[in-house]
Amino acid sequence: MDALLKFEDVELYYDHVYALKGVSVEVHEGETVALIGANGAGKSSILRAITGLRRIRSGQIQYQGKRIDGIAPDEIVRMGISMVPEARRVFPYMSVRDNLLMGAFTRSDKAGIQQSMEMVLARFPRLKERYSQQAGTMSGGEQQMLVIGRALMARPRLLLLDEPSLGVAPKLVQDIARSIVAINRDEKVSVLLVEQNSRMALRISNRAYALTTGKVALSGTSSELLTDERVRHLYLGGEF
Amino acid sequence: MEQVIANGLYLGAQYALIALGLTLIFALMNVLNFAHGQMYVLGGFVTYTIYGQLKLPFVVALICSGVTLAIIGALMEKFLFRTVIRRSKREESTMLLAAATAFFLDAVMLLLFGEKQRGVPKIISGVFISERVILPYDRILVGVVAILMIAAFMVFMQYSRPGRAMRALAQDRVAAQLMGVKVERYSMIGFALGAMLAGVVGGLLVSITGVNSGIGGPISIKAFLMVMIGGAGVVGGAIAGGFILGMMESVGLATLREYGDITYLAIFALLMIFLSIRPHGLMGKPWG
Repeated sequence: MDALLKFEDVELYYDHVYALKGVSVEVHEGETVALIGANGAGKSSILRAITGLRRIRSGQIQYQGKRIDGIAPDEIVRMGISMVPEARRVFPYMSVRDNLLMGAFTRSDKAGIQQSMEMVLARFPRLKERYSQQAGTMSGGEQQMLVIGRALMARPRLLLLDEPSLGVAPKLVQDIARSIVAINRDEKVSVLLVEQNSRMALRISNRAYALTTGKVALSGTSSELLTDERVRHLYLGGEF
Repeated sequence: MEQVIANGLYLGAQYALIALGLTLIFALMNVLNFAHGQMYVLGGFVTYTIYGQLKLPFVVALICSGVTLAIIGALMEKFLFRTVIRRSKREESTMLLAAATAFFLDAVMLLLFGEKQRGVPKIISGVFISERVILPYDRILVGVVAILMIAAFMVFMQYSRPGRAMRALAQDRVAAQLMGVKVERYSMIGFALGAMLAGVVGGLLVSITGVNSGIGGPISIKAFLMVMIGGAGVVGGAIAGGFILGMMESVGLATLREYGDITYLAIFALLMIFLSIRPHGLMGKPWG
């Protein structure tokens, strides 16, 4: 089966410092794929390259069989790839409603947008309670739900999540993990998840790649990696 | 007393419209548009030409002022500010560019329209007289039009799709881009809209105070005062700043008359004290 997203031998530099040194990653239709690794290993750079926020130096990125490297971020969304950025980045002075509507910015089907709105609010009842509240005044966990909901409003085929557990209360991390699983299952969205919380990421994903300093060190099914000695030693020790 | 408030509201509505345009451009592009006053003056001259010289209806002249300035704003964004922002990482570059644009527009207007004070025939004559307030009808009309435009602008920013996109862009550029907002297109729309507001106020006020090519600089300074009072980049702040400055000017003119022309001296002194206590203005955000 052809991959939905194919990230092939990509090199990416920030000025003269490399962030990715020949990385290949694939996401198949319906999968949840996790990228784990320490801070600075290059996980987020992969997402920034896919969304077009960062240019790659060499290699290529294919989505549904078409090359997408070099395409601007606002076009990438229109192709069905939605990103939940790191550190949440809600629009702080907009209401929850307006934040969600911004998620549907690329769409013009009013009825469809209304449907997506209802779906998101049903999935995150908290957002329904806070519908008219300014997004910047909500808790970290609520803001995380909002940005995930906002990304879903674009009706993506591929959802990119950058550190969704960062700065979220431990109790809510479980909720967010559960909603990622549910979204992947119910909305037929493939997920590429970047996480420092490796245990959580491996539990909810089908496959995973472990990165160290800009390279894929290990890859395999998530259940394999969960029990792999090296992964245990490098990424799972000390957590929980 | 009522007279002072009426004058203050009338002035404040004009000022708020000017400040809205300035703050919109600042919020979207982080550009301090020193040429804002010159855009206002140009709007005044367009209305002067079309209504005063060509004798076409005032409404037509006003629309022409708005459209002309919107086009000039869009062109300035596309060919000047966009290229400078792309090439230079330093914020001073856009400030210098804005200042240069101001001098350039000043020179062009001096060349085209001369240095004389230009006025136009009254749009409506007559004066509203009650026991406590005396206001010419044309001032009332201009004030009401300004307030309607402020309301229309706010509704547009709050409820329309492009309005939402511009707010998103001002709050988080990268996140807005990830939602599919074309940054360049909306920066251009915002710049055009800001310039249009300045042009329309210029056109409105030419019917009352007239216009001359030298008042662009002072108007820019007033606009910056308002934005500083209210807080840069915030719509509510610009409106509050506009009405506060209008009211202060009106009160100052009424109470400080016997001491000579010191209203703005007093306003500047007050503003210095105010900014040392609240450097971000009434509603400004620490990040600008």
